[in-house]
Amino acid sequence: MEMVVVAPPAPGRLENLKRRFFATPLQALLSLISLAIMAFIVWKLLDWAVFSAVFTTSGGPEACQAAAGACWSVIAARWRIILFGLYPFEEQWRSALACVAVVVMTALSCIPAFWTGRRIALVWGAGTTLYYLLMKGGVLGLLYVGEEAWGGLALTLFIFITTCLIGFPLAICLALLRRSELPWISRTTGIVIDGVRSLPLISILFTFAIVLPFALPQWLVGDKLYRVIFGSALFFSAYQAEIVRGGMQGVPAGQEEAAMALGMSYWQRIGRILLPQAMRNALPATINQFVISFKETSLVVIVGFFEILASGNAAYGTGEWRFAYVEVYAFIAFIYFVFVFSLSRYGAFLERRMAVGER
Amino acid sequence: MKMIKWGAAAMALGFVHLAAPAQAAGGKTLEAVKARGVLNCTGHDGSYLGFAEVDDKGNWKGMDIDLCKAVATAVFGDPAKLKVVPISWAQRWPSLQSGDIDIIIKASGGTLGRDTELGLQFSNSYYLGTTKVMAHKELNLKSLKDANGGTICIPAGTSQEQQVAAYAQKLGIKLEPVLIEKTEELEQAYFSGRCDLYAQWGPTLAIARIAKSKVEDHVILPDVLAVEPEVMIMRQGDDNWVDIANWTLSTLVFAEQEGITSKNVDEIKAKPTSPQVAKFLGVTPGMGKGLGLSDDWAYNVIKKVGNYGEIFDRDLGKDSPYKMDRELTNLWNNGGVLFPLVID
Repeated sequence: MEMVVVAPPAPGRLENLKRRFFATPLQALLSLISLAIMAFIVWKLLDWAVFSAVFTTSGGPEACQAAAGACWSVIAARWRIILFGLYPFEEQWRSALACVAVVVMTALSCIPAFWTGRRIALVWGAGTTLYYLLMKGGVLGLLYVGEEAWGGLALTLFIFITTCLIGFPLAICLALLRRSELPWISRTTGIVIDGVRSLPLISILFTFAIVLPFALPQWLVGDKLYRVIFGSALFFSAYQAEIVRGGMQGVPAGQEEAAMALGMSYWQRIGRILLPQAMRNALPATINQFVISFKETSLVVIVGFFEILASGNAAYGTGEWRFAYVEVYAFIAFIYFVFVFSLSRYGAFLERRMAVGER
Repeated sequence: MKMIKWGAAAMALGFVHLAAPAQAAGGKTLEAVKARGVLNCTGHDGSYLGFAEVDDKGNWKGMDIDLCKAVATAVFGDPAKLKVVPISWAQRWPSLQSGDIDIIIKASGGTLGRDTELGLQFSNSYYLGTTKVMAHKELNLKSLKDANGGTICIPAGTSQEQQVAAYAQKLGIKLEPVLIEKTEELEQAYFSGRCDLYAQWGPTLAIARIAKSKVEDHVILPDVLAVEPEVMIMRQGDDNWVDIANWTLSTLVFAEQEGITSKNVDEIKAKPTSPQVAKFLGVTPGMGKGLGLSDDWAYNVIKKVGNYGEIFDRDLGKDSPYKMDRELTNLWNNGGVLFPLVID
């Protein structure tokens, strides 16, 4: 006798839905109630944000305030403040171009074809130089604009990018120093890392922005913006160093021993054996750290920088638009969402790609 | 946020002491400002309605900003020679002490602690901030005395909290406080009917009344719970700089008293109405020398920034969206407390 094993037919979508949400009358009731609540909330939100909302500035603030829904005219009227802060009005195209340069640079460096030392250095070097020249001016007939006038999204991006640019290599150095075989090096580094980690970012920013000028000689003080960026990079690197070290500890000791046995030099061992594997281990936590740093840029408002939250506050902070703060904050939340969400999706892509070797 | 503020303030206090020896060596603020070619004055990290806000083109405006402009004009003859540095509340004092800014004009009151412990120095008061209470119209309150048993929204962690308690005790009434930190939330609570009353710093209250809903639905009660003189604040130890701040303020008030505005100042300069005015506008010498300024500095200030009344109308009063009354911040002969120093 021949046995034919027939797999049960895969349940259809409808079937699946029925089984999960409508198995018993009680379950069906609960499902319907939840659905109704959700539909109500979504409807209310849509009604506020779209159907009853005002999108044009033609009626002026008064008409907008009278409307039942959201008043997006505040964004239409004040978006330049939100995106560019106090940057001189006629020059704001430069600020916009600089933002584009930074975004393009980040996008390019996310493409695997650019992952060689020289190419990535070229992209980042060109991107940050372009940003700096565009923003600061003073060359090629561009009007000079000091750092204190930078603001909005452009400033938030700049602080984030430079924090990562300085902080990431610094983190790798710190991680390597911490696993040094010389105890006084590893211990000192350990104390530095733990010291920085045990301070709140706010106090570090405050110290670098306001207290350092008292302590440093005049020629070393520099602009407040760069002191703050250095402080936030230091903070970033202390956390990131521990993430990298964790990644290194996940690499089996045999790997490095085998590399030694093959006669590879220290830098070869680190650069070709240890770091690539360590970075793969550390990737999820690293992306996490990037996301946190991006959101923490908003803390620079405490030392008087006009980053995107402060410029949002300035955008609704006039007599005419005073009522529309919810809309402004929703707009800023949307901008944050776009950046952070793409960052974490990219992280997920990286993880899939790097997992190729594990299969 | 409150923790942050306190932490920052504590650090600021610590470092003010550290900075104290550096002041004696400085002390020549005017020379430093002239050498730099621009006055560094306080802005806001965001906006403070009526006092420091940002227009559609990203330019600063407001009462505090106009006073910054007046000081810059007094020094340079040009209001454009002003750099407005965005600064948070907590950052005011250390920024002044470190020399990042030359003068604080940021709706800040003169207090004993700031004067003696922080090592600061004040100008005369340029604005008299009052703490007042707003009520829903339908409650038909004549004054706070009628509000016994009512709930009152108060900004948390501010001096208004004690002022309300003290005032209620004086009147012998009981009020139920609702303490909320963030101004937007606080106003939301009052306007949604969570509180019967809303106690706040006068200008903020007046602005809330006109901006949030129908003006007629809310009345500001006549009771004045407390008064805070807002002053310009400078580092201790530079008398000349304090003189310049005081005389700039006095100039604005004097011009209003004499009816000199940015529009008619040229006519009056051509035909001065009195020897005092002639000296004031630099027709006859003597106005600037003692201060280290040019003789026509007051003329420049009035011509380019306007007199006190013009500034008030533009930023808070009838030409602004806020339509505030002058109240106590008016000339002495109009029932207010403003008066010019004497030009002899």
